[in-house]
Amino acid sequence: MTSTATPTQSLPDAELAHYNPKSESAGTKRVKSTVFHLVALALTAVVLYPGLWMIASAFKPNSEIGGSNTSLWSNNFSFDNFVTAMDGIGGVSTLQFFTNSLILAIGAVVGTILSASVSAYAFARIKFPGRSIFFGMMIATLLLPFHVVIIPQYIVFQQLGLVDTYVPLLIGKFLAADAFFVFLMVQFMRNLPAELDEAARIDGAGHVRIFTSIMLPLMKPALISTSIFSFIWSWNDFLGPLLYLNTPDKYPLPLALRLFVDQTQSSDYGAMIAMSVLALLPVLIFFLVFQRYIVEGVSTQGLKG
Amino acid sequence: MINRRHFLTTVAVGTASAAALAACGTGSSTSAGETGSAENPVTINYTWWGNDDRAERTRKAIALFEEKNPDIKVNGNFTDFAGYWQKRATEAAGGGLPDVMQWDLSYLRDYGQRNQLLDLGTVNINTDAFEKSLLPSGQIKGKTYGIPTSTNAFAVYYDPAKLASLGIAEPDGSWTYKEFNEFLSEVGAKSNGEIFGGTDYTGVWWMFNIWLRQNNIEAFTEDGKLGFTKDDMKKWWNQTAALRGTPAIVSEERVTQLAPKSPFGSNVTATEVTWDNFMAGYLADSGAKELKLAPVPSDDPDNLGLFLKPSMLMVASAKTKYKDAAARFIDFMVNDPEVGQIFKTSRGVPASKTQRDGTTFEGTDKLVVDYEKSIEQYLKDAPEPPIVGFGTLEASFKRVASDLNYGKLTIDGAADAWFKEAEDLIKQNA
Repeated sequence: MTSTATPTQSLPDAELAHYNPKSESAGTKRVKSTVFHLVALALTAVVLYPGLWMIASAFKPNSEIGGSNTSLWSNNFSFDNFVTAMDGIGGVSTLQFFTNSLILAIGAVVGTILSASVSAYAFARIKFPGRSIFFGMMIATLLLPFHVVIIPQYIVFQQLGLVDTYVPLLIGKFLAADAFFVFLMVQFMRNLPAELDEAARIDGAGHVRIFTSIMLPLMKPALISTSIFSFIWSWNDFLGPLLYLNTPDKYPLPLALRLFVDQTQSSDYGAMIAMSVLALLPVLIFFLVFQRYIVEGVSTQGLKG
Repeated sequence: MINRRHFLTTVAVGTASAAALAACGTGSSTSAGETGSAENPVTINYTWWGNDDRAERTRKAIALFEEKNPDIKVNGNFTDFAGYWQKRATEAAGGGLPDVMQWDLSYLRDYGQRNQLLDLGTVNINTDAFEKSLLPSGQIKGKTYGIPTSTNAFAVYYDPAKLASLGIAEPDGSWTYKEFNEFLSEVGAKSNGEIFGGTDYTGVWWMFNIWLRQNNIEAFTEDGKLGFTKDDMKKWWNQTAALRGTPAIVSEERVTQLAPKSPFGSNVTATEVTWDNFMAGYLADSGAKELKLAPVPSDDPDNLGLFLKPSMLMVASAKTKYKDAAARFIDFMVNDPEVGQIFKTSRGVPASKTQRDGTTFEGTDKLVVDYEKSIEQYLKDAPEPPIVGFGTLEASFKRVASDLNYGKLTIDGAADAWFKEAEDLIKQNA
């Protein structure tokens, strides 16, 4: 969702920039611009309302959330939900869940960056036998729905005794199993002029040198968009941790969030929403810090023919 | 870039490795139970679903068990209810179900028939303190797959404060469907539509099931077919035909708006028909000081069709290496009075008499226990574990009934729609 928001918002801007000022009076232009901004603001309000609702509800008592309560703000404003949320669940502190999520997300980013860039270099720049077959196979894994491989994968890790560790969740990232990112980087590298590495080769550089000194610095936009996506995907992943982790000490946030809502007993919506707000913060900060690179990364990859 | 030959190679490689992996999965050991000692204890895995509160209570119970059984260590894990079944399905396919599990009745037949669960009749678990009418609900074709931890019974909840403010007398504990309908209409009329009488009780599967039992019809036959006819179903949905669209029954639109909370929990209705273990949830959702329980209506005052349903069961994996330890842990969790003291009624009313008698109930807990005691004389045998795919049938019953309330379906159309789905599903699973 975050990934699509920026490009769609920037489109009307681009249209405005193409206006021919001579054909319209300054007045019409101002009216058009006002209308555009009003519509954009109204749309933003609609899109952001669920977020606003979530933040407002985090400060309400449980019995005033949902159901027949329609007001956004409560008179019983309190931080109790955050206190409950920070208390943790079943003897595991909330900080522990955050740490686990961070370990997984950072592990995923590091692994993906290391492995995907090296594999992409091989596919884009080295001519080895069977290159196109391997490349085709890699693309084919993109077509395989995740649900088809759940059981076979689970059996492998179960037989290896790796269930209830982070290995099943991270090993794929370090082995470039995320074909999407490899593909993204291959496409990016193919657009870099081959003359650069030819010049480096003439100067006596080997593959390692070309990769680290020439390719990596040029690939910054691709590396950054890869990091952002793999961070957010790992941060939000529910099914993987659900299947592979058993001990509550190792649970990341998405699993912990679900523990507040128990249909068979009482549900603490307040604490769940408060924790959702807290869980959203790192992703939001990550996105805000890197968002200009996302635009840069997407535009440099997507728009070049 | 990618041509058909490459694609086929990939598929072939994938299929071959999947087959090899599947072969790995079957080679597990079936040795008899291994045992441990105080110096060298065995570790069994126990998993349950539930919230923070249950996790805390279970932790206490496990600590107590380990103290009394130094030769066994219990490794406890938990997830939420929905994730719980996704995880179990994957583990069952991968051959790695935990040794002991908390279980829900609607999944018992499915896993039992696939030989994923241990026949608890072959191990030593004391069931002397259980109601004889309750145990069949954990058995399939003579094999005991689950031991009930606790029971719940169906009831009509009502909010005494709301009734008092409207000047309506509290129910006296015995009513016919006609009286119940009049009661719902009275609430709607006297509150000027501000508080509805209740939700449409004909849209609740278990209420239908109980009505069938009141008419001496079993919902499902022993061979897993439907035991009732379309006419029974039409007759049932006609019960509230005159009430739909009046303030006696909350409209389906409103119910949807209020979700995930129930209309009763949102203080929109004065009554609700459901299981008696929802008490704590309703109190928390509605913020009400007190809620009370009354038996379901029946046109035959001697046959209320009520029964005790296991609110949850304890089961063991068929592949567990520690059968003896698993059995001892299950026995402890269902029978030990101190475990009862720890859980109170948060799992339901303890099923074992030993455990029930050893537990002191106060406040809300006492209300639920007293209710189950008050209906004791009406209780009949619990039905067998529901057929495979029962969850789907229950959900479709609810959906069809809500279409009926929306006015999208006529009663005849609704019965046709549900029967078609049910017959297809039963054929599929046969």
